[in-house]
Amino acid sequence: MTQTVDEAVWAILHEALRLYQDSPRATSWLRHHIGRFDSPLRIAVAGRPGSGKSTVVNAVVGDEVAPIEVDGPVFTWYQDGPQPRATVYMRQGPPGEPPIVRVGRRMDIDLSGFESGGMTRIVVDWPARVLRDATLIDTPPIADEISEQIAAEADALLYLTPQVHVMDVRYLQSTQDHPVARAAPVNSIMVLSRADEVGGGRIDSLSTAKQISRRYRRDARIRGLCQNVVAVSGLIGQAGRTMPEEEYQSLAALAAAPRAQTEELLLTADRFTRSEHVLPVSTRRELADRLGMVGIRLATTLIRQGADSRTKLASELVQRSGLNELRDSIGRLFVDRREVLKARSALLGLDVVLRMEPRPGAAKLVTDVERVLAGAHEFHELRLLGGLLSGRTRLPEELGLEAQRLIGGYGTDLDARLGFDREPTQAEVQNAIYDALARWREQSENPMLGSAERDAARVVVRSCEAMLI
Amino acid sequence: MTAATWLEVLDQTIGASVVHHRPDLAERLRAKRAQLLDPQIRVLVIGEANQGKSQLVNALVSASVCAVGDDVTTVAPTIVRYAEKPAATQLLHDGTGAEPQRMPLPVDQATNRGGDAVTTEVRIPRKILAAGLVIIDTPAIGNLHQLRAQSTFSALSGADAVLLATDASHELSATELELLRHVRRSCPTILVALTKIDLTTRWRQIADRNREHLSKAGIPAAVVPVSSALRLRAVAKDDEALNVESGFPELIERLRTDVLPVASNPSSRQNFAAMTGTALAELVGQVKKELAARPDDRNSPAVAEYMDAQQKMADLKRRSAKWQNVLNDEMADLIADLEYDLRDRTRRILREVDRAFDEADPAKTWDQFEEWLNENLTEAARTNFDWLIERSWWVADRVAECFPERQDLVPGTVIPSDADLDPGDTERPRLEKFTAGQKVFSGLRGSYGGVLMFGLITSLAGLPLINPISIGAGLALGGKSIGEEGETRLKRRQQLAKSTAQRHVDDFFLRFSKDCKDAARRIQRGLRDHFAELAEQLQQRVADAASAAQRSAQAELSARQRRDQELRQALTQLRELHGQITRIAGALPASSRNPLEISA
Repeated sequence: MTQTVDEAVWAILHEALRLYQDSPRATSWLRHHIGRFDSPLRIAVAGRPGSGKSTVVNAVVGDEVAPIEVDGPVFTWYQDGPQPRATVYMRQGPPGEPPIVRVGRRMDIDLSGFESGGMTRIVVDWPARVLRDATLIDTPPIADEISEQIAAEADALLYLTPQVHVMDVRYLQSTQDHPVARAAPVNSIMVLSRADEVGGGRIDSLSTAKQISRRYRRDARIRGLCQNVVAVSGLIGQAGRTMPEEEYQSLAALAAAPRAQTEELLLTADRFTRSEHVLPVSTRRELADRLGMVGIRLATTLIRQGADSRTKLASELVQRSGLNELRDSIGRLFVDRREVLKARSALLGLDVVLRMEPRPGAAKLVTDVERVLAGAHEFHELRLLGGLLSGRTRLPEELGLEAQRLIGGYGTDLDARLGFDREPTQAEVQNAIYDALARWREQSENPMLGSAERDAARVVVRSCEAMLI
Repeated sequence: MTAATWLEVLDQTIGASVVHHRPDLAERLRAKRAQLLDPQIRVLVIGEANQGKSQLVNALVSASVCAVGDDVTTVAPTIVRYAEKPAATQLLHDGTGAEPQRMPLPVDQATNRGGDAVTTEVRIPRKILAAGLVIIDTPAIGNLHQLRAQSTFSALSGADAVLLATDASHELSATELELLRHVRRSCPTILVALTKIDLTTRWRQIADRNREHLSKAGIPAAVVPVSSALRLRAVAKDDEALNVESGFPELIERLRTDVLPVASNPSSRQNFAAMTGTALAELVGQVKKELAARPDDRNSPAVAEYMDAQQKMADLKRRSAKWQNVLNDEMADLIADLEYDLRDRTRRILREVDRAFDEADPAKTWDQFEEWLNENLTEAARTNFDWLIERSWWVADRVAECFPERQDLVPGTVIPSDADLDPGDTERPRLEKFTAGQKVFSGLRGSYGGVLMFGLITSLAGLPLINPISIGAGLALGGKSIGEEGETRLKRRQQLAKSTAQRHVDDFFLRFSKDCKDAARRIQRGLRDHFAELAEQLQQRVADAASAAQRSAQAELSARQRRDQELRQALTQLRELHGQITRIAGALPASSRNPLEISA
């Protein structure tokens, strides 16, 4: 491959900067985008009111950092930093730094010194592993101006919804209502949040939610709009990730009690928090808040079934919550493809300049942008990876795994793509590539496969060809 | 207020809806009418996906009558009503006909969603239903299957009360509030059931927030927190305390106090009044719009046609003057040109004749000459006549061009193709020849003078009168006189021949030019007749079209006036109906809550 998409876009951005050097507005906008190119990936967490945005942010970060209760639409950015630190940006006046402390796994922030309606953005530096790869943006509930801001500031989108509603589909469609976005619909993952509430409180609700998400992945109305659909219970996932020992002990005590008695107690949230029990009311209340009734029922069942330590229970809860799947999707579809998504955002930004300030010399840039969009193999790779992960595109078992590997689903460097776990010789690499190329060429014309699968095979062939150069 | 009055008003409104081409309104009102005359009270259970609607219905009647599932489950409405004995029927498409078939099925399989059910109807013996309550479970609103939601909206108009199911885990969403606002227009009795309160500790706050949202949105609806799971468990265990905890007794009480009285007329009629009022207002709006949107007179097609016809008429008149001028001018030109041409040709022939007879002796060449002359004249006549024909066709074309649609059909009889070209026989001139006797006589006459003259001269010299000299002189003179005589006669013959030829040519010219002129005039007359007829036909046609257009324009105008009149009458009638409705609504106690607004 002579030039990767991010290199191509980088070159175009600098050319645009040269062309627009006399326009201060365009220059600052372009500089902003060039600056963004090197910053961590920005993932916006968006959804309708009550779709569980903050819960998912907490579950992904692993600490209780959201929500920060303020009035008005405020974007909260969570980025990596050595110490907890917060910067509040105001509509008017200079930004300020409110006091912020870490209490156990919770974040405590004091915003009393700020006018509550005037804040536009809070940037929180928080030491967390996941934030090193990507900045999370907790957004206000979806509204027109909010979605524009999301489109302008975020590279990737986690769209949360408890139920797929017409409004959700409309919103996702609106995010693709742009030529650049349409050409590369690779930046969103739909999350069926609040998965624990699906089954009317039964403990198998999480697996039911997974089935529903699988159905949506193949739904014709959804699959073009996002890379994957993942069912997640943020509440249970976060509870699993952050479970303290005493919480485990309380749950274990519940599980150890006679089954009928516990069942009676767990019948309703009211009974659980208000009736007489050996556990103090405050503990029970906290349990109900942190796990939800479904979570408590699930946890007690799991303990009875043999999750006899905190770590076992926690990992079981995290596993079942779908959080691992979500993190995997974020990792493979967003973080690993950081450059591609950054390039996509930069193209969107550049497009704004080209449209707002058209000038004669810009014609070449327009064609360059179009060329990158049409030719960028990375977009196709990423789209196919999303398809393979979500089951939207289905290849026979082994082929599917190999395709994922070749298009960079397990790492985008040459060795990872070719599946070498040791240092291969030059000849071995060559042989492996030629071998893959030949086999996938065959697949791309295999009459037993459907047209979508043959298209997928063609993408793999191109990936192989790109490795040769 | 008697029942007959409101029924009458309703019937009239339905009639008006039909008249004003609003079958949708009529349908809605008819459904309302049937509903008002029906003692049953229909409660529609609505809500977004997975808010526990079906479970709510199951819990209400404490039986599993609706399918419950985790994904999108309810795809067709289930109607639950009272019966002594349990029974269930399913209305479904069996795949053969367009009409759905009614299929009875066992009650315990009512939740079985096999096939393509349109509706499922379940009848069970329950106290709560005995009062005439009919509970309808509907497919979710706002999920991706829009078609299914459509049926819910259409069912709304038939509902006496609406029960919105909303999950206790979240506050009422914007879409739910919007839905309630929509519902309120056709059905003011609304209850909000906060379901699944067993799953969250926060349901009390949520319930309070929901009440706030509702009052802010101006929707008078009570929020009843319930737990279907508890209720079903309570029923299964026959646990009264659990039943109370489930919140269902309160919900049933609410249904009894808020919904059942709907059937005992007044407040239901208020609902009806609101609905009829809305329908009437819509009709009034429509009629007004129709009145306002009367098309401009000039835009009417009939009027446009009439104007067009008149335009054509004027156009035709202008053209008819023009074509006549063209015909006259062209024909006059043609005649003049023809005459000149003929004259020119005959002159050339005459000059030729002159030249020929300057040399030749007509006595010898006359026959030959005559042939030549006739040939030439015939040739000239033909050329001249051909030209006439050609020019005549051209003129006909020019005239035809004056007509709006080109009329190429000049009949062939108008312009002759043949003419009498025979120049006739020449009158043969009397050509005196110089006979031998005349020659002798002339010779003698000339020689006599010579003999005498020279005889006298020589007699002086003593010679006799007749001597060789005088005889010689006489011979010479005689010869000369013969020669001179011959010359003179030739000249005379030539002159004669010339004049004869000239006369002949003149005759020919006179006759033929007369013929030509006649032919031209005949052509002119023929063309004039033809085109005059054509023009008349055209005029007639245009005039017919104009009068037809005028008639239709007038008919349209009167139709429009009639329609205006009708619309105004309809408007008055509708307003009257509306007044009656307002009076009926005014007679109801709770009318102030539902003010009717109409701008007349």
